[in-house]
Amino acid sequence: MNWISRFIGGRGESEALDRGVAETLAHWQSLVDADLSRAHFETRYAVLNTEATGLDLDRDRLLAVGAIAIEGGLISPAGSYYSTLEPSPSLALCGLLEFVRKDPVVVFNAAFNLGMLEPVLDQRLGIALDAQTIDLYFLLPALFPERHGNPVRLGDWMESFGIGTFQRHHALGDGWAVAQLFLAAQARALAQGAASPRALQDLERAYRQYRRKA
Amino acid sequence: MSTTAAQMLVGASTDFLRHFSPFDRMEPAALAYLAQHAVLGFHPRGSEILTPEMGPARHFYIIQRGKVQARQTGATAVTEYASLTMSAGECFPIGAISAQRPSTNAYVAVEDSFCFQITGDEFLHLMQISPVFHLFCTQYIASLLNQSRQQLQTTFAQRAAEQQTMTTPLGQLVKREPVCVTPETRTRSALEKMNELRIGCMVVADAGQRPVGILTQSDLLPRVVLAGFDLERPIGEVMTANPHQLPATASAYDAALEMATHGVRHLLVVDGNGCLKGVISERDLFSLQRISLRQIRAGIENAADVDALQHASRDIRQLALNLIAQGVGAEQLTQFISALNDALTRRIIELALDRHDLVGIDFGWFAFGSEGRHEQTLSTDQDNGIIWRCPEPEDAEAVRKRLIAFAREVNQNLAACGFPLCKGNIMASNPDLCLTLDEWKERFGDWIREPDPQALLNASIFFDFRVLYGNERLGDQLRTWLNKLSRTSTNFLRMMAANALQVPPPLGRIRDFVLEDDGTIDLKKCGARLFVDAARIIALRTGVDSSSTVQRLRQASGKMGVSSEEVSAIIDGFHFIQLLRLRSQHLETEHDADGDNRIDPDSLNELDRRILKEAFRQARKLQLRLKLDYQL
Repeated sequence: MNWISRFIGGRGESEALDRGVAETLAHWQSLVDADLSRAHFETRYAVLNTEATGLDLDRDRLLAVGAIAIEGGLISPAGSYYSTLEPSPSLALCGLLEFVRKDPVVVFNAAFNLGMLEPVLDQRLGIALDAQTIDLYFLLPALFPERHGNPVRLGDWMESFGIGTFQRHHALGDGWAVAQLFLAAQARALAQGAASPRALQDLERAYRQYRRKA
Repeated sequence: MSTTAAQMLVGASTDFLRHFSPFDRMEPAALAYLAQHAVLGFHPRGSEILTPEMGPARHFYIIQRGKVQARQTGATAVTEYASLTMSAGECFPIGAISAQRPSTNAYVAVEDSFCFQITGDEFLHLMQISPVFHLFCTQYIASLLNQSRQQLQTTFAQRAAEQQTMTTPLGQLVKREPVCVTPETRTRSALEKMNELRIGCMVVADAGQRPVGILTQSDLLPRVVLAGFDLERPIGEVMTANPHQLPATASAYDAALEMATHGVRHLLVVDGNGCLKGVISERDLFSLQRISLRQIRAGIENAADVDALQHASRDIRQLALNLIAQGVGAEQLTQFISALNDALTRRIIELALDRHDLVGIDFGWFAFGSEGRHEQTLSTDQDNGIIWRCPEPEDAEAVRKRLIAFAREVNQNLAACGFPLCKGNIMASNPDLCLTLDEWKERFGDWIREPDPQALLNASIFFDFRVLYGNERLGDQLRTWLNKLSRTSTNFLRMMAANALQVPPPLGRIRDFVLEDDGTIDLKKCGARLFVDAARIIALRTGVDSSSTVQRLRQASGKMGVSSEEVSAIIDGFHFIQLLRLRSQHLETEHDADGDNRIDPDSLNELDRRILKEAFRQARKLQLRLKLDYQL
């Protein structure tokens, strides 16, 4: 019995599933964190988004997860992931980890999305995501102050860029909009000389500090 | 599951693509292939998406959002104007990716733009699996035109449906569900029902819906009101029994005959079992006024006076409307309008000849301008003249006087029939335009030898002449002489070309179209005329005798080594602009306003806007040709 089975064993999921999950997790854990100093075009970003019963981190439940990869500044339908937590939460989360790898994670509102996801990851898989994240909630107003100087909701950014999606408030639907916003953010950042994931993180951090002082 | 995610995103792309041509008509499997392989990228404002310097085009792009400008590049001195702006749903580069060569245009995002892209290999595969896409790429403008025509047909379907013929079966003419009561119904409640439903008559039918009688509004006064009929008594006692009825398969014509024969205003329409299907009133048939080409021609040829011809002139417009509704293209339409207008003009001339003795005078009635080119639209004023030869012993000035008196009557009568008098006095009654063959030669010769601005303007009107009535030989002789002279007058042609280039196509560098101050485009001045002027010069240069723009282009292209595809695209562009002119003209005349050539591009649908842009691009191509030929 390895350490993982303490968490997932005896929860009604089959042995075979357990084994598959365990293998995936082991593989995921063996991955090395992506190099944040590489250029955008060499980096695979994973846009990650969640769907919950509501917005209260304490009371609401995670329902589904969605993710979209951005490679070479392009969104491909093949590079996407979506799963509801039911019927098999461990499988859903495992698939997400497998998709996200250890690549930089792009979210819109990390406090909520990761706040919703991380406890479940811990509870179901005994895993801490510990991802290198870029939060568009802060990065977008930093890059496009002429559109919105302060952090605003996703819907406001979508409207500002004329971005639509096939289904709002759906993990993948909103994720698709976030991914498109990230393409615009990436291009604007590049024009400002911010050419790597680390540079994006720096921009985001600087913006937060500036807001705290202001 | 990850497949589900991909399906959702593919679905989103598919929904987007379906809004645009040609993807809306693409085979499902091909559309699925495209949506699966299309990846989305972002191009910030000002960035280059594709340039010739980038080498062979590697991707095919479809704009999802934003605006992309295509700029012609290269050594020619005319590139500064050669650009166009594309928006959502438009694709590029079709030619370069098909031929796997570098693009000739530079594509630059002029707004923050999202574009779908597929690789060159995927593009070629898509061409293979999708005949629709293949056709789109190879016959870009032709295919667009065809769709526009179909859209037009749909737009006008309602009106076309209203223009039904006297052969329409009555079953189709019945507008509302049949209303009837039984013979036992109290007369009061039957009348209340008539009043409530606002119907002119009440059908009385038995339990099996078979009509047994009718009570019409006109029966009420004599039979009910004046007769003091007790409204509580059954309607069966006051109705007309055995009403006139016809099967649903009978024609409107049958119904008209029945009504006329029996002097009734209502007919009951019944199905094969004799059950009531509805009521046809005289008024229903009255709206079925029907005009056919043959009837109009016969009407014109038999017209005894100008009044009758005025009638025919209105019929021509009505028929043109019907033909537009049926989706008839601009080429046929303008030819048809020309043909009927010719017939009308000839009849007016014949009527005038009855009153003016011109026996022995050899003359031809000239049509100039659009009429001379067989390109008349619905709102065209008169451009005409006379060419004549003086009988030996007669006094030329006396003959001219007689001709002018005759021409004045023709001009007035044409005006009465809907061809306004020419403001510039380009009319046969103008002594300057009632000339002998030699005088015309002299006139044209002066213009060609000394091409001042006025001469060039004149040339653009008078070179498009044809003899509409009378001795055509006179026109032929003038044409032969004129072509020989102008072909060798390089300076004259060069100045004509410079003149023709003064108005560029109204294509914007940033916005789609360059609009006039009132927000419209003049489709004559900035559209059709660009083609007409260029074609005239090309025809004179290559010695093409035709006076029609399309024929001039077609015949000249062979001599100039222009490919037939290229010339077809130009002609399609010209026809589309002509069609838009016709459409806006007839739509306006419906409201009794003067038809004109202005169009607000925002009032066009997306497809038509794109075709119009393409049409203007073709005009620009034609102008470019002139620029190069005459090094302007």
